[in-house]
Amino acid sequence: MSALGELQRMRRGSGGTLGGKKENKAAFAFLAPWFVGLLLITAGPIAASLILGFTDYNLIQPPVFNGLDNWTRMLGDERLHHALGVTLVYVVVSVPLQLICALGLALLLDRGLRGLAFYRSAFYLPSLLGSSVAIAVLWKQIFGADGLFNQVLGVFGIEGKGWISDPDSALGTLIVLNVWTFGAPMVIFLAGLRQIPAMYYEAAATDGAGKWTQFRSITIPLLSPIVFFNLVLQVIHAFQSFTQAFVVSGGSGGPSDSTLFYTLYLYQRGFGNFDMGYASALAWLLLVIIGGFTVVNFWAAKFWVVYDD
Amino acid sequence: MTDLRKAAKHAALILLALVMLYPVLWMVVSSLRPNNEIFRRPGLILDSLQTQNYGEGWTALASPFGHYLANSAILVLACIIGNLVSCSMAAYAFARLEFTGKRLWFAIMLGTIMLPIHVIIVPQYILFSQLDWVNTFLPLVVPKFLATDAFFVFLMVQFIRGLPRELDEAARIDGCGHARIFVRIILPLMLPALATTVIFTFIWTWNDFFSQLIYLTDPEMYTVPVALRSFVDATVSTSWGSMFAMSVVSLLPVFLAFLVGQRYLIRGIATTGGK
Amino acid sequence: MRRIALAAAAALMLSACGSGGGSAGQELSKDPVTIRFTWWGADERHKRTQQVIDLFQKKHPNITVKGEFKDWNGYWESLATTVAANDAPDVIQMDELYLSSYAERGALLDLGTAAKHLKTADFDKSALDTGIVKGKQYALPVGLATYSIVANTGLLDQLKIKLPDDNTWTWDDLKKVGDQVSKAGGGKITGVQSFGFDAGSMNIWARQHGAALFDEAGKVAVPADVLAGYWAYIRDLAKSGVAPAPSVTIERAGGSLDQSGTATNASAFGTWWNTQLPSLAAASGSKLKLLKLPGESQASTPAAYFKPSMYWSISSRSKHPAEAALFVDFLANSQEAADVMLTDRGVPANRKTRAAITPKLGETDKAAAEYLDAVKVGTAPRVTPNGASAIEAIIKRHTEEVLFDRQTPEQAAASFIKELQAEIDGA
Repeated sequence: MSALGELQRMRRGSGGTLGGKKENKAAFAFLAPWFVGLLLITAGPIAASLILGFTDYNLIQPPVFNGLDNWTRMLGDERLHHALGVTLVYVVVSVPLQLICALGLALLLDRGLRGLAFYRSAFYLPSLLGSSVAIAVLWKQIFGADGLFNQVLGVFGIEGKGWISDPDSALGTLIVLNVWTFGAPMVIFLAGLRQIPAMYYEAAATDGAGKWTQFRSITIPLLSPIVFFNLVLQVIHAFQSFTQAFVVSGGSGGPSDSTLFYTLYLYQRGFGNFDMGYASALAWLLLVIIGGFTVVNFWAAKFWVVYDD
Repeated sequence: MTDLRKAAKHAALILLALVMLYPVLWMVVSSLRPNNEIFRRPGLILDSLQTQNYGEGWTALASPFGHYLANSAILVLACIIGNLVSCSMAAYAFARLEFTGKRLWFAIMLGTIMLPIHVIIVPQYILFSQLDWVNTFLPLVVPKFLATDAFFVFLMVQFIRGLPRELDEAARIDGCGHARIFVRIILPLMLPALATTVIFTFIWTWNDFFSQLIYLTDPEMYTVPVALRSFVDATVSTSWGSMFAMSVVSLLPVFLAFLVGQRYLIRGIATTGGK
Repeated sequence: MRRIALAAAAALMLSACGSGGGSAGQELSKDPVTIRFTWWGADERHKRTQQVIDLFQKKHPNITVKGEFKDWNGYWESLATTVAANDAPDVIQMDELYLSSYAERGALLDLGTAAKHLKTADFDKSALDTGIVKGKQYALPVGLATYSIVANTGLLDQLKIKLPDDNTWTWDDLKKVGDQVSKAGGGKITGVQSFGFDAGSMNIWARQHGAALFDEAGKVAVPADVLAGYWAYIRDLAKSGVAPAPSVTIERAGGSLDQSGTATNASAFGTWWNTQLPSLAAASGSKLKLLKLPGESQASTPAAYFKPSMYWSISSRSKHPAEAALFVDFLANSQEAADVMLTDRGVPANRKTRAAITPKLGETDKAAAEYLDAVKVGTAPRVTPNGASAIEAIIKRHTEEVLFDRQTPEQAAASFIKELQAEIDGA
């Protein structure tokens, strides 16, 4: 499960002029806090969850080993398959949408506009609210039966519905909710844009390159590590997406399971049905799936991510 | 750019901002309405300004709401310091140093954030309760000092790798050790990444509900998100007005933090400047 | 890595097996003792409960009670986690849905062993019975509630529609009067706020048809055709316009009480627990009235029943079971506590305190209490069995499937029985 291409380049790059010499002592000194954390805090619970994946554990009584029962049970678990489908749609649709919005706005708000601080903050504000308890109510003000969206539709004479509570459109409203909080990746893009030395643009301008050429041959390649970062992390986050669906659907993943995200189902099994053994197994299946996507992401990065080193 | 195009751009941005901020505005308006009118009248029109929700919300729970704000502030501050120190160190090693098993360690680091917290929380709670750390900030803060937030490590790795390598190699040839290169050259240059880390740690910690709910049992220790949820009970009447009022109050510091913090995003690398 | 894993697993087993606190019959300690007390609710309840804690501490200066309040969802996450880590609070507010799940797995103390400090003489046997699991009293009911119809008489007057006689009415009558309201309401107002999102409505429907949701052994016992009738009725309400369109119904059901059709004066009739009347009246600002359930006069025995609004229970691993029992005794029996709490946790199940507080209640609270005395009830249904704690989520999902025509009522009934039984078998 290693991130092959990426790391190969990492290794090659850091060879540099000093010629591939290992710097173990220095490296482990810098990594000391992380190693301590891994050993004392992270590893134990993660290992425990793996073991629990092979048990029947109701949280109240001690876990009982049940071999591969949890894993074979997944094969016939229709709600699980459904949840996987819902989650995949969500990841595939909402991540690109959110990143495009974030990148577009970041480019627009990078420089040369009055009131930048205000716009940035305004576009960022929704991200602050995205996971608060108030969001369930607030989202209904937009997509509820009496919400803003229906009022706008009403102007055009179209009769709306409760978009959040219709199984055909509920997932869509959650995707919009995710896109709505594009402020977070936007901030990272902004920080990345700031790192591109201005002299590159100046040189290009002297050579007579237009805005579009500058964007294509300077901004995109130099920003690609950050785009890559956002892509990898947003995919991981989207697979684990929980809070928004939980708050908006009141924990049910409804209506009619249309917003039953993977982690929401896992949570229902673990805490709602006292089925923590199965939930742990589900978590590890998710880890494998996310890991797979991440490896593919790292592999594909070879073809489009440009590093300075 | 002509003035007309500029004006059009501003108009579009303002319209977009308004649409995006509609729910926030609705919340502010609702916090100024009497409780029983909130759901009975849609829209943003206020016919009277009622500030009593703020007073009631402030004193509705066991302690004045300022107490929960203070708890959250302490927690956030500690988490920010922890993430800045530990994640930047780990990131430097991954981005600039060569060591045994680097690929494997990097993969493990990313792997640790791929498991949903809901299956980790029970074993972790057992661990922390054996250490007698439950009902203190330690379970929430100590991990931050141990670089468990792989998100930020990865973020900083990507930023460090974007920095021109000539700078630190020149320093190395001058005889600088890694500690010096890290502190003197890398850290100042990655200010945007550090600012991003501060902003994100601030907001995620400020909003994080699940782990704070689990680890902070005594209401004296409650933080803002835990306190806000204790306004809500679906089966009886909820003091929505108070809840929205306190949401607004708790949103204010985050918003201000961002307004200040984003300046550092703009500043960027001193030498490259921006227009 | 392996060693860490084993150590972590060992810690899990150890904490799960943590020794019980034994009997609550022991003597009270004279040394300072601290007990933890946890409940869910909203801010009003948090305030009142803290006052009760203060009263108790004044009486027993050596006992400190630490209150831990949570919202409903957070409460169950937190409780499960602390029980798993053998770190559960001593006194636990319990719900009927979860009672068996915790009691049958040994997380709760048999209150029978606490009789020395915890008196139950002022509780009716029928009330006490609701807290019995496998023959032992694991929980003491706090308040009682009964299922009812809340009618918005203010709205009906406005539309000039006569209130039906609730002593004789049937479900058909409800639909008929609902239809009148929908027609007079001009689209914005509908007659009935649909139901099918809680166990209460399903229990009532089953019992009126001479069935029960669960048999004594804890198996699903409701016949599929009865359930199909339940969902057919609900679907019929929506299709005929008596209830709002499905997406609107589900949106309101998913919100809090304040966002419901009854609270926003958008529906004239709704199914509620009688104790929710004061909250609804405050939210709607209209005149509301509790009506008896339709179909009761046709049923051979009353389908209505008393449901405990919640229970008091004690952790089986409490280190201070005697002090915890003493505190529960104060919560359940003392007039001082009842005077502070009033009906916040439902109309008290304790006969004595209920009688004493009734004159002190406000108008709608009084109406709720009087309704409880007036309604004819049958024996309470069996406590929700171990493993079925998610029953309401399952009911809700099937109702949604029916409302959106994804399943017929017959399919929903079969699928519901199968899924619920599987959960019970799996526990």
